[in-house]
Amino acid sequence: MEWLFLIISVIAVGAAFMMLQSKNAVHSALFLIVNFGCVAFLYLMLDAPFLAMVQVAVYAGAIMVLFLFVIMLLGAEITTDTTGNMRWMSIAGAGVAILVLVLFGFPIASDLLSEEGLEPRVGTSMVRVINAVPGADGETFTIVEGGFDVPLENEVVTTVTLDASDESLEDVTLDDIVYNDERDVIREYVEVTSGEYTINVTVSDGNYESTPIFSETVDLAVDAAQSVVVYENVDGIIEVLLLEDDLSPTEMGSMRLKVFNGVVEETVSLVDIGQYSAIQSLCTDASCGSLISHRVLIEDIPAGETTTIDLEEGTYNLAFVNDNNDVLRVLQSYEAERGVVETRVLVLEPGQLGGQSTYRAVVFSAIGSPAFGSPEAIGQILFIDYLLPVQLVGILLLVALIGVIVLARPDALAQAERRRVNRRRRVSRPLVSVLSQQTGSDVLRGEYLAKLSEGSDDDPQAE
Amino acid sequence: MNSIGTEPYIMLSMVMFLMGTMGVLLRRNAILVFMSVELMLNSANVAIVAFAQQWGQVNGHIFVFFVMTVAAAEVAVGLALIVNIFRERHSINIDDLNQMEG
Repeated sequence: MEWLFLIISVIAVGAAFMMLQSKNAVHSALFLIVNFGCVAFLYLMLDAPFLAMVQVAVYAGAIMVLFLFVIMLLGAEITTDTTGNMRWMSIAGAGVAILVLVLFGFPIASDLLSEEGLEPRVGTSMVRVINAVPGADGETFTIVEGGFDVPLENEVVTTVTLDASDESLEDVTLDDIVYNDERDVIREYVEVTSGEYTINVTVSDGNYESTPIFSETVDLAVDAAQSVVVYENVDGIIEVLLLEDDLSPTEMGSMRLKVFNGVVEETVSLVDIGQYSAIQSLCTDASCGSLISHRVLIEDIPAGETTTIDLEEGTYNLAFVNDNNDVLRVLQSYEAERGVVETRVLVLEPGQLGGQSTYRAVVFSAIGSPAFGSPEAIGQILFIDYLLPVQLVGILLLVALIGVIVLARPDALAQAERRRVNRRRRVSRPLVSVLSQQTGSDVLRGEYLAKLSEGSDDDPQAE
Repeated sequence: MNSIGTEPYIMLSMVMFLMGTMGVLLRRNAILVFMSVELMLNSANVAIVAFAQQWGQVNGHIFVFFVMTVAAAEVAVGLALIVNIFRERHSINIDDLNQMEG
């Protein structure tokens, strides 16, 4: 990487120098194209592929063609620099250059040589709280407090406080979070300043407020996303889970699926079961043949652990199966959209009718950000965040275009002047002829004819 | 991602900017002065993109995009001016353009 940068920068500076000292303007323009190409390459190295392409198309393409066209149109290839009395300019220029290099270059260079990075930047990280305990359906939930089970009977409301370890950071409180599985709500994050925080979780049911049922110190890194998931475990006890969300761009054309196994006693696999969505258990014998074909996506997630896979865009029938190949839960017609980051938490739902336990898969989704510097990201900013400036720039370009047309019209001003003169002459000529006709053609005749013979009647001053 | 950091890019950008400045100051040919201005704009763009990469903000790219647009418009108008001046005076030496001198 370093040698690549070195080569490119040497070529760029060399091309710029050749451009400056070349005696032929066409050569200068060609060297400038080389320089622009190097800059486009630097953009690629700086994760700006879109800008690199625009650089090549607009700068190295359109602008330089315009330059070359004008140079050749004017026949100004040979540039004779008759500086004459401006010689002191070169001394002044050199002085300025050395001054700037010393003033700005020295600190940067010494910083580079000392091999110490810049100060760690103060950034933000994102936190969201997901209350995955559905309420208001007559179920009771239990929390363990000081060794005793405390039942909660109404809708469970969660409050999360982030106590900053560092004095300079502010504490954050996220309160009144209720069960809500709408995607937009679940996608919402709260921005906090990065740093070390102690996450405390308390729950209440309106009548009773618990002491913190969960407390853990985490280091929120810059640009990291953290989910605090409140769910109920197999025994109906409310537990808290911290999940780190990876919001970095997904693989091209796929989504990222993260699965957490909240079923305590078993390992769980995630399989793609094809079109047979109603099966109860997987057939793994050789005798099944091609009747039920399945593809294992994630094998054996241990209890309490998470695994991540990239899932290609498309529609799937996914199933969670346990060790005995019994299907625990089917996700029918599961849409995998590209660029989406999703977390699935598989938990056992206790206390259903007849004492039978069922499994349910809770979804937490988040839209991943488009790749840095990609056309997608730039398009989003250009046409959503900065629509008005973009329109203004469009108008600016249009005005420039009109200005160029007006400027480049041959003798635009001279034409206007001629039109003005013509208008006056149209009035004055008949008047002269009428006068000369009426007065016996002797008053103005001599002067008029003299003017005609001189051919100076085009001269506006003569009138 | 970027293993060499931001500083080398800033150094390069500065050197290119200075070369552009020298071109504007020392060359007398209007077209070459114009090209030097383009070089300066480009070096500024390199610095902006390098900083955008350092901070992980795409907004810098948008700024560069605008700079490019304005540069394209400016070149179109400027070259039209140069063509007209050449027609008038049969020279594009900027030392000859002194009719606005006080």
